[in-house]
Amino acid sequence: MFSFPNIAYFIPLLPLLGFLVNGLGRKHLSKGAIAWIGSGVLALAFAASLVVFLNLPSGGPTLLNAFDFIRIGELRIPFAFQLDALSSLFLLIITGIGFLIHVYSSAYMHEESAEHYGRYFAYLNLFIFSMLLLVMGANYVIMFIGWEGVGLCSYLLIGYWFRKPAYTQAANKAFVMNRVGDLAFLIAIFWLIARTGSVNFVDLPAALSSLSSSDITWITMLLFVGATGKSAQIPLYTWLPDAMAGPTPVSALIHAATMVTAGIYMIARSNLLYTAAPLTLNVIAVIGIATALLAASIAIRQNDIKKVLAYSTVSQLGFMFLAIGAGAYGAAVFHVMTHAFFKALLFLGSGSVIHAMSGEQDIRRMGGLKKVLPITYFTFLIGCIAIAGIPPFSGFFSKDAILLSAFLKSPILYGVALFTALLTAFYMFRMFFLTFGGTFRGTDEQKHHLHESPLAMTLPLMVLAVLSVIGGWVGIPELFLHGGERLIEFLSPVIPVVEGHAISHSTEYLLMGLSTGLVLSVIFFAWTRYRQYRSEESSAPFARLLENKWYVDELYQTAIVQPLHRFGGWLRSFFEPKIVDGLIQGVGRSIRYISQQIRLLQSGQTGNYALWMVISIVVILSIQFFVRK
Amino acid sequence: MNLLLLAAFWGVLMMFISLSGRSHATIRLIAQVGMGLLFLSTLAEMQGFLIYDLKAAEMFAMDRYGLVMLSVLSGCGFLYFLLSGRDMANVGSDYSEYFSLIFFIFCGFVLVLSFTSLLMLFLGIEIVTIPLYILTGSDKRNLKSNEASLKYFLLGAFSTGLMLMGIALIYGARGTFSTMEVVGASGIPTRLLLGGLFLMFFSLAFKVSAAPFHFWTPDVYDGAPTVFTSFMATLVKVAAFAGFLRLFDHAFGSLKTTWQIWAGAVAVLTLIIGNITAVYQQSVKRLLAYSSIAQAGFMMLGLYGLGDGAREGMVLYAASYSLATIAIFSVLTRMNDYTIEGFNGLAKKDPWIAGILAVCLLSLAGIPLTAGFLAKFYMLQAALSAKYGLVVVVIAVLMAAVSVYYYFRVLQAMYFRAAEEGAQFPAFSTGFKRVLTLIAILILVLGIQPGLLLHYLYF
Repeated sequence: MFSFPNIAYFIPLLPLLGFLVNGLGRKHLSKGAIAWIGSGVLALAFAASLVVFLNLPSGGPTLLNAFDFIRIGELRIPFAFQLDALSSLFLLIITGIGFLIHVYSSAYMHEESAEHYGRYFAYLNLFIFSMLLLVMGANYVIMFIGWEGVGLCSYLLIGYWFRKPAYTQAANKAFVMNRVGDLAFLIAIFWLIARTGSVNFVDLPAALSSLSSSDITWITMLLFVGATGKSAQIPLYTWLPDAMAGPTPVSALIHAATMVTAGIYMIARSNLLYTAAPLTLNVIAVIGIATALLAASIAIRQNDIKKVLAYSTVSQLGFMFLAIGAGAYGAAVFHVMTHAFFKALLFLGSGSVIHAMSGEQDIRRMGGLKKVLPITYFTFLIGCIAIAGIPPFSGFFSKDAILLSAFLKSPILYGVALFTALLTAFYMFRMFFLTFGGTFRGTDEQKHHLHESPLAMTLPLMVLAVLSVIGGWVGIPELFLHGGERLIEFLSPVIPVVEGHAISHSTEYLLMGLSTGLVLSVIFFAWTRYRQYRSEESSAPFARLLENKWYVDELYQTAIVQPLHRFGGWLRSFFEPKIVDGLIQGVGRSIRYISQQIRLLQSGQTGNYALWMVISIVVILSIQFFVRK
Repeated sequence: MNLLLLAAFWGVLMMFISLSGRSHATIRLIAQVGMGLLFLSTLAEMQGFLIYDLKAAEMFAMDRYGLVMLSVLSGCGFLYFLLSGRDMANVGSDYSEYFSLIFFIFCGFVLVLSFTSLLMLFLGIEIVTIPLYILTGSDKRNLKSNEASLKYFLLGAFSTGLMLMGIALIYGARGTFSTMEVVGASGIPTRLLLGGLFLMFFSLAFKVSAAPFHFWTPDVYDGAPTVFTSFMATLVKVAAFAGFLRLFDHAFGSLKTTWQIWAGAVAVLTLIIGNITAVYQQSVKRLLAYSSIAQAGFMMLGLYGLGDGAREGMVLYAASYSLATIAIFSVLTRMNDYTIEGFNGLAKKDPWIAGILAVCLLSLAGIPLTAGFLAKFYMLQAALSAKYGLVVVVIAVLMAAVSVYYYFRVLQAMYFRAAEEGAQFPAFSTGFKRVLTLIAILILVLGIQPGLLLHYLYF
C-alpha cells in the first residue's frame, strides 16, 4: 500500500481529500486547521512523489490501472496513471512548489474570514489535484479531465474576489480563452481515436504507423492550439496578464507549478508525434519566438509589478515553445523546471512587496524597499539574476540550452531569441531597481506600514531562492562537466536524445560568452537608467504602443468579441422570439388544434364506435386481399 | 399452473366469505394474503415447484416467459391490493365479491399466458372480460358507471364475435385448434386461414385498445369506478398484450411478413391518436385513459418488431407501465377533484406524494433513469429491426415527445401552481406512502438495472 508503485495513488488523492475537507468544512473549521490541512496534504503528497521519484525503475513506464473509465465497443479507455521520468519530475515540481505556495498563502491570506479562507484553500487543493491528474494520466482522456479541472480552478481562483466585477470578468476571459484551446484538444483526441482506436501514451509508437502524415500534422496542430490556450501563446495569451486579478499566491501557482506548464507537458508527452510533424514544429518555433518577443516588448513599459511578471511568463513560455519547435523537448522541460523555481520566487516576492505596501502594485510608487524588506530584496535579486540568465544561476543553463537549440535550427531564430533574452534582463532589472532602489515614493501612510513579511512567507522565498541558484546544475552542459546534462539523460526514456550536435566547442563557448556579456551590459544599462526614478511619461507612438500592449486586447474586442455580441443580440431580439419560438409554439398550437378535432371522433355513441370499427376492418381487409398482391 | 389453482380457490373463498359477515379489514387482509400467495407460488414455480401437475399440454402449457409475466402481474396485483384495496369499499356494498372477481380474472390471465389451443385463448379472454363488465358497472347507482358497463359489454361482445369467427375460419382451413399446427409447413396460406388470422388480430387489437379499435377505452375507463379503471388499464391490458404476442409468435410466427406491416400501421395510428387526443384532456382520469392508449401504441411496437428484444421489452414495459399507472391511479382515487387543477399545489402540501407521482409520470413519459425509458428503448430497438422500422421509430419518438407535454402538465400543476382557495387534499396514511415509495424505488432500480428482472427470463 505504502510502497512503490501503489503509493502513487495517494499523490492525487491527498489534495482531493484536502479539497473535500476544507470545502465542506469551511464553515466549521478554524483558519489554523484549514491552513494545516491544506498544506499538510501537499507535504504528504510531496513525500509520496519523492518516493515515486526515487523508486522509479529505469526504462519503460510504470502503469497503474485503476479501472476501465470508458468502454464502448472496441474502444477501451482505462483510468490509469503513468509513472515515468517526465511525470515524476512534474510531480515533484507541482507538489513541491505547490506546498511552498500553500505555506505562503496561509500567511498572505490571513485577513480573509474563515469561510473564505477555507474556500481559498479548497480551490487551491483542487487546482493541485487537477494538475496532478493531468500529469499522471496515462492517456489523453485522463489528461483532458485534469486539463479541464485546471481551467475550472483557474477560473475560480482568478475570480476569487468575486465581488469586484473586473475580477470576475478576468476570470471569465481566462475560462473562455481556455475553452477555445480545449476544443482543439478535444478534436485532436477524437481524431486520434478515430484513426488509431487508442488514446494511451504507451500506444503512441504503434499508432504512428497507422497515421498518415497529414493526420499527424493535423493532430499535432490541434494539440498545439490546445496548448496555446493553457500556456498563453499567440493568439490565446491575453488572459494570462488579466489573470493577475487573483490573489498573488494564485498567480504564483498558475505561473510556476500548474496551468501554464500544462501545454509544454502535453507536447513533451506527445514528442513522438511532433517529431514526425516537421511542419508543426516550424509553426511552433515561429509562434514561440513571436510570443516571446511580443510579450517581452510589452513588459518593458508595464508599471504594475505583477503585470511585468505576467508578461515575462508569457515571454518565457515562448522560449519553451521555441525549444520544442527546435526539437529540444528536454530543454523545454528543463526550462519549465528552472522557470518554476524563479518565477514562483518572483511572484511570491512581489506578493511580499505588495503585502508590505498595503496592496499597492504600481512600481512607480515604490522604491527604496531594500532596507525595509531585506529578505525579500535579497531573494528577489536572486530571482532576477536567475531569469536574466547569468551563470551559474539556474536560468542560465536552461536558457542557454534553448538558445543553443535555436541556433542549431536557424541563426535568425537565435538572433531574435538572444534579443528577447536581453529585453528580459532589461525589464526585470528595470522593475527591480524601481522597486528596491532609489527612495520611497509612496504615501506616508504606506511608509508607516512598511514591514518585512512573517516567516511563513519569507521561508518559502528562501527555499525557492536556493533552488533558483542550484536548480540548473542538473543540466550543466557536457562542455563544462563530464557526465553533465543529467536531466536530459534522466528524461531519455520518454524523450529520446537526438545525437550529433553539429557544433564545435569553441562556437558553444562563444555563444555563451556573447549572451552573458550582453546580458550583463544590459543590466548595467538598466542600473544607470533606473537607479534614480524619473518619470517615463512619453508620447512617442512606439512607447504608447507598448504601454497599450500592442492594442491586441482592443483588436480582439472589435474583431471577435463585439461582432459575437452583436450576433448574440440579433439572435435574442429577432431569431429566438420570431423564428424559434414561433416554430415551437406553432407546433404546439397545431397539435392542440388537431387534438381538439380528433376528440370529436369520441362521440359517446356506441353505434358510431361499432361503425368506425367495421369501416376499419373492411378497409384493412380490402387492402390486404385486393391491393397487396 | 400454481397460480391457476390458487386463484380459483381464492376466488371461491372470497365469494363465500361475505356470507360469514366478516369485517372489511378481515376481508381485505385475506385478499391481500391471497394475492401475496399467488405471487410467491409463481416464484416457486419458477424454481420448479408445482402444487399439482395438470398435464394438459394440448390445452395449455406454461413456459418461462409466461411465468415471468405472471410474476410481474401478480406482484403488481399485490401492490394494487395494498394501495387500493381500501378504496374498493367506497364503490358499493359487495366488497368481497370484487376481490373474488379479480381472483377469477387472474385465472383468465394464466390461460391467456399459457394456451396451446385457440379455444383456451378464447376461454381465457372471456374469463378476463366478463368479470370486467361487472366491475365496470359495480357502482350501481351511478349512471355513468352503468352506461360504461353497457357500452363495454356491447362492443366487447362484438369483438368476441370477431374472435370466434376467426377461430372458426382457421378451424375450417386447417381442421385444428392447436397453435403449433394451425399454420403448418405448407407454403402459401389459404385465404380462409388469413381471414381467420385477421379477424383474431382485430379482436385482440380491440382488447388491448389499439386504434382504430380503441373507441370504447376512454368512455369505459372514464365511467368505471376509478379503482377498477386502474386494474383494467394496467394488468388486464398487459395480460392481453402478452396473449396477443403469444398467439402471433407461436401460431402465426411464420406468416410474419403478412401481418407485420399491419401491426406497424396499427401501432403508429394508436400512438398518434392516443397521444394527440390526450393533449386536450382536462380530467386526469381521462388523460390517463388516453395515455393508456398511447402506451398501448408502444407495446404494439413489440408485436411489430417481434423477436427476443421485443419479448424482453414487453416484460419491462409490463412492469414499468403497470407500476407507474397503478401508483398514479391509487392517488387519483383518493383525490376530491379529478381535474388537472385539482393537483395544483400538491407538492407544497405533500411533497413526498408529489415526488413519487413525479417519478411515475417521468417514467410514463420515458425520461432516462426510470424504467419507462428503458422499456421504450427496448421497444424502439426491436421496431428498428423490422421493415420500415425507421419511419415507425421516428414517429414513435415524436409522439413520446408529445406525451411529455401532457404528463408534465400534471407535474407543472403539482409543483408550479398554487393551490386554489379552500382546496382540500386527502390525508395519506404512512403505510400507503411506504408502498408508493417501494414502487418509486422499483421504477428507478429497473431504470438503472433492468437485468434484475430480465435475467429471470433465462435462468
